Amino acid sequence: MSRRIGQLIKAAIRVVLQVNRDNATDLLEFEVRELENIFSLLVLGGFAGLPSPPSPIAIEILPFMEKELLVLIARTDLAQDPIGVLSGMMDIG
Amino acid sequence: MNNTAFFLGKGGVGKTTLSGAFALSLAREGRKVLVASLDPAHNLGDILKTKLSGQPVTIEPNLDALEVDLAYWVNKYLDESRAQMKANYAYNTAFNLDSFFNIMKYSPGTEEYAVLWAIEDIHCRLGPLYDIVVFDTPPTALSLRFLSLPVISGLWVRELRQLREKILSKRQTVARINPESPIAASCVDKDDDKVYGQLKNISQRLSGLEYLFSKESFISVIVNPDQLSVDEALRIQEELSRLEIPISAICINKKGISDMVWGQHPSLDSYPQFDFDFTRDGISSREDLMAVGAEDLAAHFLTRTGKK
Repeated sequence: MSRRIGQLIKAAIRVVLQVNRDNATDLLEFEVRELENIFSLLVLGGFAGLPSPPSPIAIEILPFMEKELLVLIARTDLAQDPIGVLSGMMDIG
Repeated sequence: MNNTAFFLGKGGVGKTTLSGAFALSLAREGRKVLVASLDPAHNLGDILKTKLSGQPVTIEPNLDALEVDLAYWVNKYLDESRAQMKANYAYNTAFNLDSFFNIMKYSPGTEEYAVLWAIEDIHCRLGPLYDIVVFDTPPTALSLRFLSLPVISGLWVRELRQLREKILSKRQTVARINPESPIAASCVDKDDDKVYGQLKNISQRLSGLEYLFSKESFISVIVNPDQLSVDEALRIQEELSRLEIPISAICINKKGISDMVWGQHPSLDSYPQFDFDFTRDGISSREDLMAVGAEDLAAHFLTRTGKK
């Protein structure tokens, strides 16, 4: 019984620690995703009329950018409500 | 290694004639020479009286020539990227890839890049097999674009590398604090990040080409005794000076074509000058090409490059 209680306490502590870790890195993760999005926009922006490196350079990097492309598409979906995303992350409202 | 010569100038001034005559003079002096035409409208083969292809063809002992096939280089470069994308991407992400790459053939800048990669291939793969490589270039606009590409693209690539380093550093921080985060599962190290590796690779290739153009090349600008070609030479001088590519010689071709009084522009006067008379009967054999008289220019090149 006492062993079971010990395991439960350990699990609870793990959850609390993980929640704290998630809270601590939430903003940093958001920043990383934004930077990845900016990186993708810089590399591929030429295809949408934004200033960008010569397209042959973009073509050379493109084969290694699948993840960044998916981030770009995901960020485009959220682009309608950036304040909502931020306030949701900061528990506002 | 300083064994590369470029001939630049306005269309029709005689770049192909002089690069051919220069290469032939060097070859007959006993140097092993490759002359390569970068002009999409090739006529090096016509002047050497030999059908040329993308691979070196022997014209006579010590002289080989080739005409760069730009369509081949555009397709090669796009096919390699397409194959890499198909290998790296999930099937549904790379679904309509062929249509995308077919359109990319016509994207602005692709042809200039094809010229760059062709020069790199000739310099790195074929260069060591020869004492001297001579490039007959396309008219000014395309030539200046490919000469400036290593510098301009290098700036972009440097900025992209810095941004990538920032992303990787922040990913590392997230991974340290919260190893369970999905970001921690992505690449956090510069040595393992394929995007960073590719940027580094492009950067090294561009730096190599920038060094080749600015430090290892003998650049001759060709003018005719007329105002238009001189005006264009001045624009070439201005652009090359911005790119820190030094001019090694000015060739005044077709001297005597008219009786008009003509004097060299003072801005171009400070470079070594080489005169070539107008060939009234045209060039119909390699002996006619030798008669153009590029021996002095060849001697200057050999002295300048320390090969004499």
